[in-house]
Amino acid sequence: MRKKSLSKSIILTLIVVLGMFVLGGCGDKDVADKNKDPNAALKDRGSVVMGLDDTFAPMGFRDENNEIVGFDVDLANEVFKRIGIEVKFQQIDWTMKETELKSGNIDVIWNGYTITDERKAKGVAFTQPYLENRQWVITLADSTINCKADLKGKRVAIQNQSSAVDAVNAEPELVASFAGGEPVLFDTNNEAFMDLEAKRADAVVADEVLARYYIKLRGVEKYKVLEENFGEEEYGIGVRKDDVELLEAIDNALNELREDGTYEEIYQKWFAE
Amino acid sequence: MIEYILKLIPAMLSGLEITLSIFSLTLLFSIPLGILVAVGRLSKLKPLVKVIEFYIWVMRGTPLLLQIIFIYFGLPIIGITFERFPAALIAFILNYTAYFGEIFRGGIASIDKGQYEAAKVLGFTSAQTFIRIILPQMIKIVLPSVANEVITLVKDTALVYVVGLGELLRSGKIASNRDASLVPLVMVGVFYLALTWVLTKLFQRIEKRYAYYQ
Amino acid sequence: MLLKVEGLCKSFKGKQVLKNVGFALHCGEILAIIGRSGSGKTTILRCINNLVKCDRGTIIVDGTVLCKDQQEEKSVYAKPAEMLQIRKKLGMVFQSFNLFPHMSVLENIIEAPVHVFGIARPEAEEKANALLAMLDLQDKTSAYPFELSGGQKQRVAIARACALNPLVMCLDEPTSALDPELREGIAVTIEKLAEQGMGILLITHDMAFAKRVAHRVIFMEAGQIIEEGSKEEFFDHVENEKIKKFVIG
Repeated sequence: MRKKSLSKSIILTLIVVLGMFVLGGCGDKDVADKNKDPNAALKDRGSVVMGLDDTFAPMGFRDENNEIVGFDVDLANEVFKRIGIEVKFQQIDWTMKETELKSGNIDVIWNGYTITDERKAKGVAFTQPYLENRQWVITLADSTINCKADLKGKRVAIQNQSSAVDAVNAEPELVASFAGGEPVLFDTNNEAFMDLEAKRADAVVADEVLARYYIKLRGVEKYKVLEENFGEEEYGIGVRKDDVELLEAIDNALNELREDGTYEEIYQKWFAE
Repeated sequence: MIEYILKLIPAMLSGLEITLSIFSLTLLFSIPLGILVAVGRLSKLKPLVKVIEFYIWVMRGTPLLLQIIFIYFGLPIIGITFERFPAALIAFILNYTAYFGEIFRGGIASIDKGQYEAAKVLGFTSAQTFIRIILPQMIKIVLPSVANEVITLVKDTALVYVVGLGELLRSGKIASNRDASLVPLVMVGVFYLALTWVLTKLFQRIEKRYAYYQ
Repeated sequence: MLLKVEGLCKSFKGKQVLKNVGFALHCGEILAIIGRSGSGKTTILRCINNLVKCDRGTIIVDGTVLCKDQQEEKSVYAKPAEMLQIRKKLGMVFQSFNLFPHMSVLENIIEAPVHVFGIARPEAEEKANALLAMLDLQDKTSAYPFELSGGQKQRVAIARACALNPLVMCLDEPTSALDPELREGIAVTIEKLAEQGMGILLITHDMAFAKRVAHRVIFMEAGQIIEEGSKEEFFDHVENEKIKKFVIG
């Protein structure tokens, strides 16, 4: 009996895979000549692929029904609706995001993506900032750490490849004073927070919007946020440098959303106190 | 709690689907290919042997994760582009074919050369000898190593996250991040354990089937 | 004449192991090739069974040429189709029997007839059962090789070699893996086969066994035949000093 169901599932997966091969071949990325509609060239593409780390609550993640949701996702849906093209969400490994963009596997990075010079140097063009953000330092409520200088000799946990790493590294002397001379890097912010709770890490540096989400979930009373932070920064949407039409179209749509109040609506949905 | 667990199951099942697809398709292709590689490696064609030795060296000498990254992100540079799933699958097949090839080579090499001679004087062609005499005996010899490798494969499937495929472990990580809870990860562990339990039992059965001779 | 060997030469890595060996084997005859290990006697058997190719020489099995001497060049071998017909005429029992461990006794015997020579399974099984009865193995039909004693394994190997009614039966050191008390049994079996008209070619360094069973004896040393004669001639009137030493021990 086991044999039968095994062969059945092999056949099923074969069909699934064949389907994937066929469907996978559909996305064409030809760009036709421009005409009068400013978004015509984009519309000819049919769709854009937006890359996101689907573990990145509350910006882009999967809900209990396995649907991709979040602040960025709502915003993106609205933006691309206005532009008039379809958006496909593609989960990616966050450490690979620029490689994914450059190789054309995705067209947009949009997932709490902080605007940095380093990323621009990697060939990413950013839209206007659409969300302000600070790099918070979070400790347990009873911690003796009260300012950045107190981080000396402490273990600091950060999500790998996040802008928090760049923000912290912008203060090399401070980093050198951390225990181990460098931050402890985790795959996700959740893991960084778990490490903090396990008291292996003494502090977490994370994006404010993410930190708010986790602190709310895990219990506000457990944590303390330092007055001092690692700088303010802005989230932007990244596209390939040569993809000028897409950049302009997103910028225009964002302006529209701000003007007609849709942006505020979405913001309130995710970040209302 | 129970309610929470039940809520998590659909997302995990969709992750499980990717995990099982990679797992079963990798086995489906890499076992027969492994036999071919083993036969080629034991052949008298010097250039073929050298090529296979090089291939096995590369596949066993570099991390599977690197191979997946190379096939998905590296090959497009020279104009070969695969979709996510095929890219991951190809990397898995290439990698596991090398490991199975070496296991099978060891199995074939450990069969007494008297078996070949007995088959030859009875008039068997080399193909008949391989299929009727060598292969059945090889299977018995390699079963424990193959079982080991298959269990490793179950867990290696988690590596496909690097090309953005949502396999079982990732589905657990997503839920864990969303809900700031360890429960999803415990569930993922239970899923893996269930899978490996089924496989362990399956191989025990197969080994029993081959226990009729010594 | 069932088997004719002429001018057989073979070298391994520059070392000549067979030098111009020639002999003949007739119907119902038991021919023993004796000599020390390394004298080349096993290589003769392997050449006849085409497990190694000779450098020079002619081997003819029941009128079919297995290989033909080309003077200065390597011998020319029969084509695969002919080779298969020659295989059918030759039976070979290995020193360590080389039974197929994953097959039962019956499957070992009918494997080649059914899968190589396309004989119908019932027919092959009938023949196999007759052979097993003759060799006193009827109760072992469905046993596996690991369940058999050395003597039983040897008889299965003989049955397997007999399954295609060969004309020539080759046995490599038939007594080496047997307890001494089983020698008489294998001697009787070999005689039975010879009585049916088979030519028996056996290789041994066991003098007593050769004396018990052989009709004719060939003595080899350093790749050459030094003495050949009927058993009586050989054992009663040995003149060569070397052979004397070997025979007496």
